[in-house]
Amino acid sequence: MSHRWVVRILVVAVVAGGGLGAQSATADAAQDRPPAAGTVNADAVREVAAQLRCVVCQNLSVADSPSEMANQMRGIIRDRLAAGEPPEQVVQYFVDKYGEWILLAPRGRGFNMMVWAAPVVAVLAGLIAVGVLLRRWTRPRPAPRAGGIDPVLRERIRRELESEP
Amino acid sequence: MISDIGHGALAVGTVLAVYGSIASGVGARTGRPALIESAQYAALAVFTLVTGCLLLLSYAFLTFDFSVRYVAQQTNLSTPFYYRITAVWGALEGSILLWTWMVTLYTLLVVLRHRAQRDLYPWVLSVMLGIAAFFLLVMTIPAPPFERLTPVPLDGRGLNPLLEDTGMITHPVALYLGFTGFSVPFAFALAALITGRVGDAWITITRRWTIIAWYFLSLGLLIGGWWSYHVLGWGGYWAWDPVENAACMPWLTGTAFLHSAMIQERRRMLKLWNISLVILTFSLTIFGTFLTRSGIIASVHAFTQGSIGVFFLAFLAIVLLTAFGLLAWRWDRLRAEGELDSALSRESAFLLNNVFLVAAAFTVFFGTVFPLLSEAMRGVKVSVGAPFFNQVNVPLFLSLIFLMGVGPLIAWRRASVENLKRNFLGPVLVGVAAAAALHVVGVRSALALLSLGLTVFTTATIVLDFSRAARARMRAGSRFLPAIATLLLHHNRRYGGFAIHLGILIVAVGVTGSQAWSVQTEATLRHGEAVHLAGYQVRFDGLSAEEDSTHATVIGTFTVSNGHGTPTVMRPSKKFYPQESSPIAGVDYRMGLREDLYLVLGDFARDGSQATVKAHVNRLVSWIWIGGLVLTLGAILAIVPDPQRA
Repeated sequence: MSHRWVVRILVVAVVAGGGLGAQSATADAAQDRPPAAGTVNADAVREVAAQLRCVVCQNLSVADSPSEMANQMRGIIRDRLAAGEPPEQVVQYFVDKYGEWILLAPRGRGFNMMVWAAPVVAVLAGLIAVGVLLRRWTRPRPAPRAGGIDPVLRERIRRELESEP
Repeated sequence: MISDIGHGALAVGTVLAVYGSIASGVGARTGRPALIESAQYAALAVFTLVTGCLLLLSYAFLTFDFSVRYVAQQTNLSTPFYYRITAVWGALEGSILLWTWMVTLYTLLVVLRHRAQRDLYPWVLSVMLGIAAFFLLVMTIPAPPFERLTPVPLDGRGLNPLLEDTGMITHPVALYLGFTGFSVPFAFALAALITGRVGDAWITITRRWTIIAWYFLSLGLLIGGWWSYHVLGWGGYWAWDPVENAACMPWLTGTAFLHSAMIQERRRMLKLWNISLVILTFSLTIFGTFLTRSGIIASVHAFTQGSIGVFFLAFLAIVLLTAFGLLAWRWDRLRAEGELDSALSRESAFLLNNVFLVAAAFTVFFGTVFPLLSEAMRGVKVSVGAPFFNQVNVPLFLSLIFLMGVGPLIAWRRASVENLKRNFLGPVLVGVAAAAALHVVGVRSALALLSLGLTVFTTATIVLDFSRAARARMRAGSRFLPAIATLLLHHNRRYGGFAIHLGILIVAVGVTGSQAWSVQTEATLRHGEAVHLAGYQVRFDGLSAEEDSTHATVIGTFTVSNGHGTPTVMRPSKKFYPQESSPIAGVDYRMGLREDLYLVLGDFARDGSQATVKAHVNRLVSWIWIGGLVLTLGAILAIVPDPQRA
């Protein structure tokens, strides 16, 4: 069996898999009826609810939590959005009421900048370290002395040949 | 009675473990084999005692011995047989006992397998027994599983209903086997530092141990996801809960170690880095336990309380100080200059892999402890949850998927343009073509396109490599199947690794699909009314009630049809336990390769006339579990003895 063939099958399989999901997703979109006047799209409610912590649960968002409390909070979100409040203002309402703690992702200002900066700093520091090491390690070295092969080197060559399929 | 025996056995075990740890170290230092031998007997005795304790506690559970406080807390007369066994490790004391048992089991296995190894082994034994001694100490002071309860109550409190699930026998066992498994490479790393033999001997010896630990940790995480998905009733499998994070961090650093160890094996570089990664991984398993068991962070897993946090923190401090102290002491031997031929090589791909894995671990760590930091420094409570972790980790994980494609195929030492073209031109085109094709069929999310495109690219590199090798064998005269079989067995390490990668890629497709395309709705329905979601019609057909030994259940009956085929009946429920203030969801789901229909019952009218139902259509979630199976096969392949070297 030629590898091209296998690759083709594979692409078809993954595209089919992704396609299945996408098809269903576009079908869903077609089914969504436009919201009637005064009602709010469920996605809009969900988008706000996903940012908020369910106050009685452990670590679930208001969108995901099955609790009664989360249900009520979703109701408040729906009502406020229906009244024409922009989503940010709805979020702010909950922050004013419960404190910053209600936000599942802290806002990236002030002290909280730190938590957002940490991953960036970590990756950058790592990349710089690797860059410096690579520069140092790939510096050209003096040519090895002529004569018999160093036994250490021979052993290394043997090991590398051995483990390559 | 049971209390006394248990207490006694644990106390004796503690003393023996301390003795063995010291004896083995002194034996190694002074060159007295008799001492090392006696430490081996101590290890055997400790294992036997802890096994006895585990059996004794199980016996107490099976016979409803409520004179043991832990039994009375975790079970009652109506707890069924099966859950009385899983209840043994259902809470703090018992889970520490299980954990200790595993440490002593690994210790015994190390004795059996490596006792002929003379220079590292005695120190390994000493370290392992030291770790066991710590956990035994925890069980004698802050978390005694056999504590007596007087007066003996007539009935117990009962098990946390969320734990009444088959996942509870496998999830903690797999997870703990993973956590404790990392104590073996850690012990070898410390032994290498103590003896100054920091070459690659310890890396070669611990390769299989590391894979075993890594595999069990992966399995534990996946089963945890499965439990969350089908028990918790929120429709997801990973919530970035602090305790999930605690288990995820050693997985990330352990994965980094598995890869960087290969560079040391081959190029004898990164000695310092590898030892540091192992120390870090082991410390993170302890830190995870500290986080879970001390109750400093609210979480579904947090068992609580008491002085146990101090014990774990002190142990963590001792581990870190000792390990990094030794590291500093051996600095000269570790600091060997690296040597690379080119920045365009497999070595640098692996280095980058390490950067991203460790950065992800750091991100998870910092995000998890940040609320504590904020409260301590500003006095303000903040939350760091799923939206944060998803956002920051997605780029890291996508980079890792890309490197997973590059690493195994790029040449060691120096990649030529020829090598790059030969190995990557095809897969890159395939990946781009796949993304384009997905765009054509209607995928609009850039993230999904990128993620699936990268996944296809990496899968293509694996397929390309394997089919090339298989064809080479076939040209040499082998037929198709024998060619594949010999390839897998003779290069089990390489292809085991590839199979594990494939498993991870399948998981990645599942995660991408479920994040991008899952939909849900919630509706309050009267009898006979239906809600529509993604082509499904879900009709409410009434409520019924049942009672069994531990709880009462209210069951909603819903008839589900999707336009074709016969309608099916689904029965999500709510379970009411006398010992719990709020009811527990009983999810009903129909799983499929393409999507799962997942129903959760909400509020209902007492007369059964109406009920609220939350319906999810979760896409491609099954791929996650399938990926776990592939990963399992890969791990098995990677640890079978290598026929060429055996």
